[in-house]
Amino acid sequence: MSTTTSTATPETRKPPTENPVFSVENLWKVFGPKAHTVPADPDLAALDPAGLRERTGCTAAVRDVSFDVRKGEVFVVMGLSGSGKSTLVRCLTRLIEPTAGTIAIDGEDVRAMDKTRLRELRRHRAAMVFQHFGLLPHRTVLDNVAYGLEIQGVGKAERRERAAEVVAKVGLEGMEHRRPGQLSGGQRQRVGLARALAVDPEVLLFDEPFSALDPLIRRDMQEEVVRLHHEEGRTMVFITHDLSEALKLGDRIALMRDGAVVQLGTPEEIVGSPADDYVREFVRDVPREQVLTVRTAMRTASADEAGSGPALAPEATVSEAIEAVARSGAPARVMENGRCLGVVDHERLIGVVAGTERPVAAGTEQAKEVV
Amino acid sequence: MATVTAAAPRTVVPGFLKRPGARKLLALALFAAILVPLADAHWASGTWPGALTVDVSEPLTKVSDWIIDNRDSHPLFLYFFGHISNAVVLCVRAVYLVLLAAGWAGVTAAASLVAWRVAGWRLAAGTGVAFLACGLLGMWVPTMQTLALMVVAVLASVVVGALLGLAAGLSDRMDRILRPVLDTMQVLPAFAYLLPVVLVFGIGVPAAVLATVVYAAPPMARLTALGLRGADKEVLEAVESLGTTARQRLLTARIPLARKELLLGLNQTIMMALSMAVIASVIGAGGLGDRVYQALASVDVGAALAAGIPIVLLAVVLDRVTGAAGEKLGEEPQPNNRTLWLYALGGTVAVAVAGRLAGRLDWPDAWTVNFAEPVNRGVDWMTDHLYSGVPVVGGTADWAGHFTTWVLDPLRDGLQWLPWWSVLLIVATLAWLIGTWRTALTAVLAMAAIGVLGVWKPSLDTLSQVLAAVAVTLVLGFATGIAAARSDRVERLLRPVLDVFQTMPQFVYLIPVVALFGVGRAPAAAAAVVYALPAVVRITTQGLRQVDPAALESSRSLGATPFQQLRQVQLPLARPALLLAVNQGVVLVLAVVIIGGLVGGGALGYDVVAGLARGDLATGLVAGAAIVCLGLMLDRVTQPTERRTKKGA
Repeated sequence: MSTTTSTATPETRKPPTENPVFSVENLWKVFGPKAHTVPADPDLAALDPAGLRERTGCTAAVRDVSFDVRKGEVFVVMGLSGSGKSTLVRCLTRLIEPTAGTIAIDGEDVRAMDKTRLRELRRHRAAMVFQHFGLLPHRTVLDNVAYGLEIQGVGKAERRERAAEVVAKVGLEGMEHRRPGQLSGGQRQRVGLARALAVDPEVLLFDEPFSALDPLIRRDMQEEVVRLHHEEGRTMVFITHDLSEALKLGDRIALMRDGAVVQLGTPEEIVGSPADDYVREFVRDVPREQVLTVRTAMRTASADEAGSGPALAPEATVSEAIEAVARSGAPARVMENGRCLGVVDHERLIGVVAGTERPVAAGTEQAKEVV
Repeated sequence: MATVTAAAPRTVVPGFLKRPGARKLLALALFAAILVPLADAHWASGTWPGALTVDVSEPLTKVSDWIIDNRDSHPLFLYFFGHISNAVVLCVRAVYLVLLAAGWAGVTAAASLVAWRVAGWRLAAGTGVAFLACGLLGMWVPTMQTLALMVVAVLASVVVGALLGLAAGLSDRMDRILRPVLDTMQVLPAFAYLLPVVLVFGIGVPAAVLATVVYAAPPMARLTALGLRGADKEVLEAVESLGTTARQRLLTARIPLARKELLLGLNQTIMMALSMAVIASVIGAGGLGDRVYQALASVDVGAALAAGIPIVLLAVVLDRVTGAAGEKLGEEPQPNNRTLWLYALGGTVAVAVAGRLAGRLDWPDAWTVNFAEPVNRGVDWMTDHLYSGVPVVGGTADWAGHFTTWVLDPLRDGLQWLPWWSVLLIVATLAWLIGTWRTALTAVLAMAAIGVLGVWKPSLDTLSQVLAAVAVTLVLGFATGIAAARSDRVERLLRPVLDVFQTMPQFVYLIPVVALFGVGRAPAAAAAVVYALPAVVRITTQGLRQVDPAALESSRSLGATPFQQLRQVQLPLARPALLLAVNQGVVLVLAVVIIGGLVGGGALGYDVVAGLARGDLATGLVAGAAIVCLGLMLDRVTQPTERRTKKGA
């Protein structure tokens, strides 16, 4: 819907999404003197980061980024440090003011909002979880969680009651009266998460929320997020530099480099058909059999294969198919609604694991701006 | 970037110029070679040439006369300063009456119970004992006078300081304007603040309170701004992401996050206010300081000590209680906090009412201990037996005499003999080598201003005392600091001593030195050494202890002896801390050397006191201005360059 009003040129137009929560078009954030001239000038906009810094003294943290976040999905923005992903997520609620481009939330232009409207957005529609938690050290866990409601002017009894519910939901019962300083890192981030959940936002924004945590705690917290997403189906935008985290949580992943989106697609598309050498290098060590599904690995079945052999859903991963094929000794059928879509045999499966066979992924949503 | 530009000429210049210090020296030498012959030809004389002085005392006298004549009639005084003055008098009077109405028992109970709630049982007991001791020494009324003045001054300082700090913390422009002013105010000796206030308000309680506020507000302002600016950026961002308004952000996040700094500011403000409230006895503050001042004037050490001990007790109690409040911040509040406060309030009221009913509001005379007499007997004994002629070691007066004739006199004469331009040159060289051309310029201008004001000679006299005292301070301080850094036991032993010494007001240090050394310049220098020593020791110890343990370990693993470790690793790495110690030492020594004018230190401090005593404000003001310049010069000369650290960050 926002694409119809935008001034996108044909090559930057993206496939329209049904009712996107966030719709971002040609977003730029440039730091430095006279930042606004950079996106406006095609010559400058085409420069690489080093060249841009030399010419103008500016740094483009976000370069011409466009994407839609669909309702109910976990949209992961992934990139190494300095790739602009944290700046990007802050632009969504204008914690950092974008330099150019449009952002719409439910079709409403965020950049055109006045102060009051923007505050409404931050209070009710998008809540954020931070890398270093950002908790108020002088408040108890309960008061930290209730803080967002307090800001909105909710009465003390009601906000405490609602906060207590959320505290229970993230598994912090019994710690309501502790201070953040008395909690472990994982517990603190649960408080951060609870604070964001307490205001019942439409979208949750996560800025590398688990980067500061130990690996084991991080896994717990990732599972917590997966669980919450299953239970509530809330839309999430998740920033991370950890590829395995991105693959684990993301319905779709936007991979960023030097401020631009290099590839946007499902985990399977990113691993299965990297858009360029940078992405390929990035995903090289990913255990492909755990990400790719049999839908991409299968070949068409011959008539006799379609009748026998273990049956798999098309969403089953290759590693599940390997297990089934190894057990039965015969090629496995990929079945959908009682129909055989194709089969996977030893050859196809080993090809996926070895990475020698490049399955052609259907409909990779290529990023428009490929650096 | 800097290395790239520096690399180009490196091939051309001779080797010794590679060092930035050498380049600075060369530039200065060139500069001097041109200017010195010119200056010497025009105004050849040892001291500052008369042609270059401006007589400011005459216009100053006129101004002061005009103010005295118009104080009761001019609208500026009637409708502005007059109201301030009246309000201050009224407030101090009101607090004083409340304290008297509560009676000694009520005040002691209130202080102890507040200490109990804020800092726990032990400090509460200490507070009670301290207040009772004030009564026992026969100093209850002066203590209450000082306390009344303090309460008003601290409240005003906190309000003024917090407002300034709020402005500087929230607005970058205000910060840029205020910061250098506050930084400079911090290094100026307390004495410099007295005269301008007296000029406007005359001698009396209002002047004393306002001088105290001017002296004590800057730390509150600095720390408030620091706390507001130092708040965790991510917390503020998180708070903003929840849709707070600017006011909500300030009240629910920024101010609570700055609580530690705010309480530290309160602590420092109270300590500085006490220090100044005592010194302000010179301009009519009354109370304990006045007792010390009068006693010192007649070299009555016993009486001075009887008034000095309550000052020290007050200082220690106030410091510990506010300090403990700061430490308790992180802890969970007790569940029944409010009830316990109510108990405390009830207890206070009960004791006060009981005291009133018993008719015992004033401290009973029968309960005082005559303290001055035995002390004076002791001092007399010391004068007879320790002053001079002790075999082998000599007496204390002998030491003072030797210090004066062998160190202070030659140093003063040497400085005064030096041609004036060479003094400026030395100042410029030192300041530039340690700091930047900016600090050097400020230092030279400040020094030149002293000459222009026509107080070159007394200023150099003060300077000589400062230099001698700083030298002694640094030798003792570095030695003690190194010892404390190397041995945990020494540090443990030193810590409580340093804690007490650092909380005592400057004025108090004069009492023991007068007992030991009599009056003169040597005792003033000795008091300055004792006052500055704790800070120097502490900074040195901290600096040495904060040296990267990995660097120390690696040198040890290479087989370095302890001395090699100290010389080659610890001292070079602790250089910034050592320079800071020098800077602090100089600033603190100057403050007390000036106050030493009260015990025969002479020079600028004496001019201020004499100006006040004779009502000759012009002399005092000129001396005060010279003190400001001297303080500025000494601070800038020893101010290490900040640029390097900024670039590294």
